[in-house]
Amino acid sequence: MRTFLVVILLVAMFSPVTAFAKDFGKGVSLSEETAISSILDTPADYVGKKVKVSGLIIDVCSKRGCWIYLAGDRDFEKIRIKVTDGEIVFPMEARGKVATVEGVVESMVLTREEVIKRRKHHAEEKGVAFDPATVTSGETVLRIRGLGASIDGV
Amino acid sequence: MSWRRWNYVLHRDIGFLCIGLTLLYAISGVAVNHIKEWNPSYSVERVETNVGPVVGNPADAATALMILARLGEPGKLESSYRPDRNSLQLFVEGRSITVDLPSGHVVHDRAIPRPVLREMNFLHLNHPKKAWTWFADLYAVALAFLAVSGLFMLRRDTLRRGLILTGIGVVIPVFFLFLYL
Repeated sequence: MRTFLVVILLVAMFSPVTAFAKDFGKGVSLSEETAISSILDTPADYVGKKVKVSGLIIDVCSKRGCWIYLAGDRDFEKIRIKVTDGEIVFPMEARGKVATVEGVVESMVLTREEVIKRRKHHAEEKGVAFDPATVTSGETVLRIRGLGASIDGV
Repeated sequence: MSWRRWNYVLHRDIGFLCIGLTLLYAISGVAVNHIKEWNPSYSVERVETNVGPVVGNPADAATALMILARLGEPGKLESSYRPDRNSLQLFVEGRSITVDLPSGHVVHDRAIPRPVLREMNFLHLNHPKKAWTWFADLYAVALAFLAVSGLFMLRRDTLRRGLILTGIGVVIPVFFLFLYL
C-alpha cells in the first residue's frame, strides 16, 4: 500500500499537464462571425463593438500567453488579440491551430515613442534584434481586446 | 483535549498537508519572479538556416512540403500563412518555420515546455481556473491558519524571540512599500 501511494504521488508530481481547456476566458457566445478583412477595411464600423472572428494562430506571446496574432481571411493580413495578463493564457502549442475569438475592437493612436517602446518590448519577448531607427512615425494600431476564445486541438 | 493541544495538532497536520503546495508555489514563485530575464514555462529556441531560393507557388502545399523536405523536417505540416509576398510561415507540431522565399533564409522557432516547472507555473498562476481557484483559496486560508496558530505555539522561553522575528517579518514588506510605493 505504501509503495502504491508513493508511485501515485510520483506519477502525479511528474506527469505533464496536457489537458489545456479548449475554451479560454468567457468562451465564445456570439452567433455572427465577422471577417478580419472587414474590420481592417472599415475599422470605424467596429471600434468599441464586440465581434467574433476566427483564423489561424500565427504567433503567441511566449512569456505570458497574453496575446496572439490571428491570420486574416486575405493573404498578408493579421490582427492582434490582446487579453488581460493571467485572465486568459494562450499556450505556445496553439501556434498553427485555428481559433475563434470574441472581443471588443480597439483602436489606439500611438506616438513614435510609444511605437518604439511597444516594438522593443515585442522584440525582447521574441528574443530578436530591434532597431528604433526603423520607426519613423507614430501609428494607429487596431486590435481586439479578447474576452473569450475557443481553440481547436490544444 | 485543551485548545493548545488542538492548536498544535491542527498546526502540525495542516502543515504536513501544505508542504507539497508550499514547495510548488515557492519554486514557481522564484521562476515567475524573474520573467523579465527568462521564460519560466518554455525554453524558446531560434535556429536560423538556409534552404536555398524557393521557386513555386507559395500558396501551394507542394511548395511547403518541398521546404520541409529540404530542411529534413519529419513533422507533419499543420498549416501555413503568408506574412508578405516574399515569406511563407509553416506550422509543424506547434513549431513555426518562417522562410524568406527569394533567399531561402529560414527561421525555425521552437518552444519546448520546461518539464515540471511549466506545470508548477500552470497551477501557481491559476491557469486552470475552475475548481483549482477554490482549492488554491483553501490553501491560502490554510497558510493563514498556520501563521496565526504558530503564534499561539510560542512558549514563555521563546516568546520574546518569536515576537521580535514576527515583527521583523511584518516590517520588511512595509519597508518596501515605503521604498517603492
